[in-house]
Amino acid sequence: MPKTKNLKNSDHTATLGASFRDPSGFLFTDGETLYRQVNRIYATDYDQLMESGLYAKLVKAGLLIPHQEVEQPVRSPREGVGPRRGAQDEAAYKVLRPELVPFISYPYEWSFSQYKDAALATLSIQKRALKLGMSLKDASAYNIQFIHGKPLLIDTLSFEAYQEGQPWVAYKQFCQHFLAPLALMALKDVRLSQLMRVYIDGIPLDLASQMLPGSTRLSFGLLTHIHIHAGAQKRYADAEIKQPKERGGVSKQAMQGLIESLQSTVRKLEWKAGGTEWGNYYEITNYSDTAFEHKKEIIADWVERVKPSLVWDLGANNGEFSRITSQAGIYTVSSDIDPTAVEQNYRRLRQEKEKNILPLVLDLTNPSPALGWANQERDSFGQRGPADIVFALALIHHLAISNNVPLTRVAEFFAGTGEWLVIEFVPKSDSQVQKLLKSRKDIFDQYTKEGFEQAFEMYYHIQAAKPVKESERILYLLQRRK
Amino acid sequence: MFFLTNALLSGFGDKLAYLDPGSGSFLIQLLIAALLGAGIALRASWSKVKKLFGIKSEVNEDAEDEEPEE
Repeated sequence: MPKTKNLKNSDHTATLGASFRDPSGFLFTDGETLYRQVNRIYATDYDQLMESGLYAKLVKAGLLIPHQEVEQPVRSPREGVGPRRGAQDEAAYKVLRPELVPFISYPYEWSFSQYKDAALATLSIQKRALKLGMSLKDASAYNIQFIHGKPLLIDTLSFEAYQEGQPWVAYKQFCQHFLAPLALMALKDVRLSQLMRVYIDGIPLDLASQMLPGSTRLSFGLLTHIHIHAGAQKRYADAEIKQPKERGGVSKQAMQGLIESLQSTVRKLEWKAGGTEWGNYYEITNYSDTAFEHKKEIIADWVERVKPSLVWDLGANNGEFSRITSQAGIYTVSSDIDPTAVEQNYRRLRQEKEKNILPLVLDLTNPSPALGWANQERDSFGQRGPADIVFALALIHHLAISNNVPLTRVAEFFAGTGEWLVIEFVPKSDSQVQKLLKSRKDIFDQYTKEGFEQAFEMYYHIQAAKPVKESERILYLLQRRK
Repeated sequence: MFFLTNALLSGFGDKLAYLDPGSGSFLIQLLIAALLGAGIALRASWSKVKKLFGIKSEVNEDAEDEEPEE
């Protein structure tokens, strides 16, 4: 899977941890460059993708990652695996250099609409592929990434020649990776997207079927693709699949019907937080307009000084402050623990066609771990860093007070995420902190301006500190100690 | 569903189909697809009938999947 930041640390070729299931090829890095090897076994399908016009059409529609074919030989990590030691990898047909994904995100970090758009992008790709005689041979949610604000397929080797009569080999995977989580999020609880963290190949359909409300059996799409599908999986688990017959199987028309049915089932899934409309859900802060504008000015000024190319705005709420950098053309990961705020953030970027912002659902007190085979398939949140600058605005009290993390540990954590940190200290006298202390004993003697500075100076130099007008809060610009 | 037997199953000869489609998933797909395929065929003939009487078809929801006019 393409990464950017981590590449800087590697001075040798290495295959990526997530790139091993499909024999068609694999990803590897050479220093700072990411390559995708196409194996000979996949040559015919790759040529068909390129020559049928499908590649060009999907790239033009913004649904497939663009790549360039590079002249061989590129150092392949599998050099010498063939009969002649030291020779090129004999399995290699071509080597591609794909466009880089600015920040890899995973389905358990997407808001509802991001997830839904990713599902619809997958189905749209499959429909276009069928028209040009190809079909997706996998439908993994991990193959979709957000670039320029839109979901696209990053696995160029996901296509195979379509043979009429063959069913869609990725049908089960699509239902487990997309339909089941979306249905659970929309119709049961939006937090159930977190089941994707537990099940690496998607939510088991029998589990989804049990958890979904009984009324979902009245929807043709959910009844068939989830409930009956789950029943059939159990009943026919040991049935043997025989060689293709002359007639029978799934006709092209039936295949189209299947894809359209999945499309309409996904489209009908909607999520409304607490039944409210999206426009007026959010109460942002206890800030006055002056304080709000002053805060923005200070941050913009400091960003100008640091000149970052990757920003992480942690605890970003609906992304108000992320837009200081994203609108200046700086790629900004805008994360929050609240799925509602992230949904609102994504809806705004979609409406305004914003390109440099990636809203994500992330609980900082329990960030995404490394997952999958040997814990190497999906990177932890930290492994996907570092950022050039991290924003922690109106966040410290949630970590230090709500979550009881000592300030030195908060400082240590942030020091691992990037060289620069813009952090807002919210004193105990602030109404938001008072709210948190209402229901509990104040055991936070260290939680003072002095205690804060002392803790953070263990890891950072304080480069600037500015009180925010008409508030009791202070903004700090910190640079990590060497 | 219960009338389905192994006789209906067709398989995957493609060496690159690295995913296990799952026997149950495979069977249910045959059934659903057959049903939906018939639906599409019906829809197509119905729109022909409507055309005959000069009634316009509904707006195509899948317009986004269509190729833009060059």
